[in-house]
Amino acid sequence: MALLLALVGACGEAGSSDSAESVGEAGAAGEVGVATGAEGSTLLVYTVSYPLAYFAERIGGERVRVEFPAPRDVDPAFWSPGPETVVAYQRTDLILLNGAGYASWTDRVSLPSSRLVATAAGMADRYVVVEDAVTHSHGPAGEHAHGTIAFTTWLDPTMAVEQARTIRDAFARARPQHEEAFDEGFAELERDLLDLDGRLSEIVAADSARALLASHPVYQYLAARYDLGMRSVHFEPDEPPSPAMWRDLRGILEEHPARWMLWEAEPLPATASQLRELGVESVVFSPAGNRPDDGDYLSVMEANVRRLATAYGDTPER
Amino acid sequence: MKQVVYVAWRYLAYHRWKTITLVGAITLIVYLPIGLRVLVDQSSRQLTARADATPLLIGAKGSPLELVLNTLYFGSDHPALTRYSEAMRVTESGLGTPIPMYVRFRARGHPIVGTTLDYFDFRGLEVAAGRNLAMLGECVLGSRAAEALGAGPGDNVVSSTESVFDIAGVYPLKMRVVGVLDFADSADDDAIFVDVKTAWVIQGLVHGHQDLNRPEAAAGVLGREGNRVIANASVVQYNEITEENLESFHFHGDLSDYPLTAVLAVPPDQKASALLQGRYQSDEDLAQIVTPVAVMEDLLGTILTVERFVVAGAVIVGLATLATAALVFLLSLRLRRRERLTLFKIGGSRLAVASVMASEVVVVLASGALLAAGLTLLTSRFGSLAIRALLRT
Repeated sequence: MALLLALVGACGEAGSSDSAESVGEAGAAGEVGVATGAEGSTLLVYTVSYPLAYFAERIGGERVRVEFPAPRDVDPAFWSPGPETVVAYQRTDLILLNGAGYASWTDRVSLPSSRLVATAAGMADRYVVVEDAVTHSHGPAGEHAHGTIAFTTWLDPTMAVEQARTIRDAFARARPQHEEAFDEGFAELERDLLDLDGRLSEIVAADSARALLASHPVYQYLAARYDLGMRSVHFEPDEPPSPAMWRDLRGILEEHPARWMLWEAEPLPATASQLRELGVESVVFSPAGNRPDDGDYLSVMEANVRRLATAYGDTPER
Repeated sequence: MKQVVYVAWRYLAYHRWKTITLVGAITLIVYLPIGLRVLVDQSSRQLTARADATPLLIGAKGSPLELVLNTLYFGSDHPALTRYSEAMRVTESGLGTPIPMYVRFRARGHPIVGTTLDYFDFRGLEVAAGRNLAMLGECVLGSRAAEALGAGPGDNVVSSTESVFDIAGVYPLKMRVVGVLDFADSADDDAIFVDVKTAWVIQGLVHGHQDLNRPEAAAGVLGREGNRVIANASVVQYNEITEENLESFHFHGDLSDYPLTAVLAVPPDQKASALLQGRYQSDEDLAQIVTPVAVMEDLLGTILTVERFVVAGAVIVGLATLATAALVFLLSLRLRRRERLTLFKIGGSRLAVASVMASEVVVVLASGALLAAGLTLLTSRFGSLAIRALLRT
């Protein structure tokens, strides 16, 4: 009987060690949402847009490695990465999303939600809904697919500041030992962005009721911020507009007598010439959607400000 | 002493069937309650191990047990559905990381687990072949699921319809296998993992079809109201997601209303866990938060109560059996009176004769006890394997 009791006791211990292995195995996996790099290592960040990459670089400096994998010759708003690029996104420490429906490809891929940073999530009340977007539903009573929300939030410097602030906070959570450096980087960026905002406000204040045209519906946040009287058409800078498009434009001009049209890039000379015949001059205001060949987001926006100043000064400049 | 044991042994060997019967009875009397205790102990550890590793579960109000069994063990009955807004609620609280779970559909008997990449990190699941989920419509197989389905990276798996009679319901989706997981020795081995959005595609909440603005899709248009195009039922929805049609997939309605079976919440520490649990105490809340280990302990408490009755019954039967064995021995002593007299007459002392009788009893009892100990050792070593096999069926 004593031998039997000793054996039962031994069985109990063996059972405990078996269960400890299975609990330990599961327990070791219990942490979620921890940045993949060691605390002292460079923070690896992927972004879905160039402006976010710029903000991250300005804030993070050498403590952050920023990647924006969209090709330079593609509009990032309509770019979709392949599986290999998605896997690269999955392996980073942080993924910076713009929000406002930008990069809709993120709805169709698997990304670790614990590492996503929705930079514009706190500004949903400032999103601009595109009124004339075509939506659809299945059946008269079906839920509709959402209409388009304008996504170029970075064209409003004050919204860009908030996005940068969210990035700064995310960096500080991931690498708290560098919080001071991130604060400094953010402060400098904020100064530059608010300076842009101040200059744009001054320019527009000179003629706040001025009617403007947009070659493409990408300037909604610029228009909302500075209360611009802007109407959009769908002209492409590198394609001649069709006769129907010119007809529509003439119709718009009758009720909205604009003298300047904002373009994402230099329009075709023929298009610019035809616009001039209608009394409309062209000015380039680049949305800074992708990395420029020369300069960066800030230099692109400063050039935009100078050209807009020219437009408001009524001196045509190409 | 040797002679006494020898004589006792020869007697027992001569009456082998009686000896085997007595030894078998003693073995069962000793092994049954102890073996049962060991099995129950191992079962409870197996069942609670996974619950122990899962901090909190959030789901619709209802049966906590159903919520836990569906989320941890992918049981075929899913609980009442909750909404994606519960996952957003956890994120907004800042008190933990939410891992959405949608365990509703199956493919050839294997559960399709809709979740996010965070689940794999949380459970420590590694990819053994291929890669993890990246694109909508992909799936990753648990090791046993891959073996049973005979599928690996590059193959396809088709989801099953929910009900044969619901012809307007969930359509099968052909999913591309991109990876197979390492053996995890858990319910994850039998599962087919998809992104939660792919699970919504299976349900039809997310779908892809022709662009209704294009002329070739005119037959699918019921009407137009301003900027809204109303599609009719003839619009063909894709039942396979490919590179060519991926971008056509879209959501209808508000993401926060999309269904989930549960949200697995991972708080960073005990304080956050307590705070998060505190937020679900209102009677008006449509959601509940449960601690899986507490739910499993409640279940095991019921099993242990039953076990106590079984053990009590086994003890009573054992006592009765011992009494019967004692009666058999006493009767056999009476029947062997002439044998004992013969031993005495050929020179055996009273002590020697008594020792022979006592040795027979000791040998039978010791054999039974040793066999019971052996069976108990085997149970403790291999019982967990049997339990895991039973839990899988």
